[in-house]
Amino acid sequence: MKNQGTIGAEDHVLHLAWNNEGDRLAITPATGDILITDASAQEQQRLAGHGMGNGASDWFHGELATCGFDGKIRWSSQEWKPSRGMIERVKASPDGAYLAAGQGKSLLIFDKNGPTDFSLPALPDSVADLAWNPANANEIATVGAGGARMWRLGQKEPYARFDWGGASLLVDWSSCGRWLVTADQTPSVHVYDFPRDYPLHIQGFESKVQAMAFSADGKKLATGGSPVVTVWPCTGKKGPEGATPIQIDGHDLDVTAVAFSTVSGQLASGDDSGALLVITFETGQFRRKRARLDAGISALAWHPKRPLLAIGQNNGDVMILSLE
Amino acid sequence: MSRIPVTILTGFLGSGKTTLLNRILTEQHGLKIAVIENEFGEIGIDHELVINADEELFEMNNGCICCTVRGDLIRILGNLLKRKDKFDHILIETTGLADPGPVVQTFFVDEQLKEKLFVNGVVTLVDAKHILQHIDENGEAEEQIGFADVILLNKCDLASEAELDGLEKRIRDVNALAKIHRTTRAEIEISKVMDVGGFNLDRAMEVNPHFLEDGHHHHHSHISSVGIESDGDCDGKKLNDWINKLIQEQGADIFRMKGVFSVKNQPERVIFQGVHMLIDAASGGPWGDRPRKNSLVFIGRHLDREALNKGFRSCLA
Repeated sequence: MKNQGTIGAEDHVLHLAWNNEGDRLAITPATGDILITDASAQEQQRLAGHGMGNGASDWFHGELATCGFDGKIRWSSQEWKPSRGMIERVKASPDGAYLAAGQGKSLLIFDKNGPTDFSLPALPDSVADLAWNPANANEIATVGAGGARMWRLGQKEPYARFDWGGASLLVDWSSCGRWLVTADQTPSVHVYDFPRDYPLHIQGFESKVQAMAFSADGKKLATGGSPVVTVWPCTGKKGPEGATPIQIDGHDLDVTAVAFSTVSGQLASGDDSGALLVITFETGQFRRKRARLDAGISALAWHPKRPLLAIGQNNGDVMILSLE
Repeated sequence: MSRIPVTILTGFLGSGKTTLLNRILTEQHGLKIAVIENEFGEIGIDHELVINADEELFEMNNGCICCTVRGDLIRILGNLLKRKDKFDHILIETTGLADPGPVVQTFFVDEQLKEKLFVNGVVTLVDAKHILQHIDENGEAEEQIGFADVILLNKCDLASEAELDGLEKRIRDVNALAKIHRTTRAEIEISKVMDVGGFNLDRAMEVNPHFLEDGHHHHHSHISSVGIESDGDCDGKKLNDWINKLIQEQGADIFRMKGVFSVKNQPERVIFQGVHMLIDAASGGPWGDRPRKNSLVFIGRHLDREALNKGFRSCLA
């Protein structure tokens, strides 16, 4: 592991996002300016923050879209403020055509000209998180009270829903489109298998699952709900159901971030104590490298084309590590 | 790291919540206070310390009233706690029609919030001119009074002394525990709102069931307070079993409960407080010069005074 460069943001690093080319990294801290650096952590641009708190940013048509507690979305030279409610994240669709955000009970869909008619302004429940279907840029999932709902752009009713009675806080969709996973308010995750229309409730985590990620091929799901990283197989007819997951220890505190590399297939995980694991999967086994950083790890993002890992910390530092 | 206090501000529409919030946000009190506002459009737009959020109720997993929490708060507060620049105090304004229960429960149920934040108290503003009408027309107004640690009987300039005395009596029928302050334009020392300690077990020792013995009780509603005081020691196991059974059967109707117990073979006071089915208990330190006795107060809906008294007396050793 070789440090390619470090930079300090003003606050706890909330989110990291590389652009598609891998020449720009967006660093979103909890408060203060949002930074854009190159792949060696050299600052290129600084964007104004969103007052009391920033939300997670994303790249949209080559520019960074930002959002926050002030209820605003800023992108390129534009600023949109649909209402006063906070916006916790923006996510660009897999084809890059649309930008989605949740604001209270509204699912907002923008194109580069602003809000579109695809927006759904009065859903029954608030949008806690959302995820586009990587296999179909026309589909998006929202989670919140009750479970998950899947929407097709242009339709006013969900085309699928997974209600389980409790609340889900985070959602992710596998690249193949088969699996949807939610992290819940209770220490559990729900995994939905679309072809089978089958929900699987995985419990037994020591604490609330704060981080989860699918591998690039959609065959592995990593979750962190304690000091242990659990990797669930998402292959075969039943996926994780009845399968024995890989459990990876080596963390000292609860795992706060996990990310799979699309280049090497490696999994990185970080915890509140600053312990970083980089896990390489081999047939039937895994190897792990461990490093210790000086502050808790709060965000991880692999470079899209090279074995570079951006690591955000709760003291505002961001380090770019080379694993070549 | 010490936990950050959270004050929950409730009150029916037009009771003066915004006036109080604006006062808190603009007065020189030396505190850095974050305000989470659920009633859009009332506070000065885009105030730098105000976050607007949609009230969002989450049932944890089983539909139980006590496991209903506020999802928006879990996420907002989670983010605020990540900030380097921490707040001295957090104030949550509920909508005029909100039930304060889920807001309070959020801080009991979510482990991460519980570690870093604590509920300092529920402050309810009451419009002296219109409260009787609100109580008659909406159960929420009375529930907000039932949950309160501090009640600001506001807009006192619009009512006579005799009317205010009557209102206080009516409020006391509902909530025997709350401190009542009479105000006009929500003018009050900030510390009386921000330093409440309503959920602080130490302050649970201030329970005074005698509040309930000040004369006649004309119950106009289903929400009331029941106070119990008794000499003698309790049997710890019997007490535990009774409270558990009570909250299982009637927890949904019990808004608040507080008590100090003298438990057999325990040299120190046992104190407890609860909201619906969620209870906290701890040792309250030595009795000192005070006589050993039991004092407890329930505030809730459809409380059966006789049954509660009988139940408690069955716990005496």
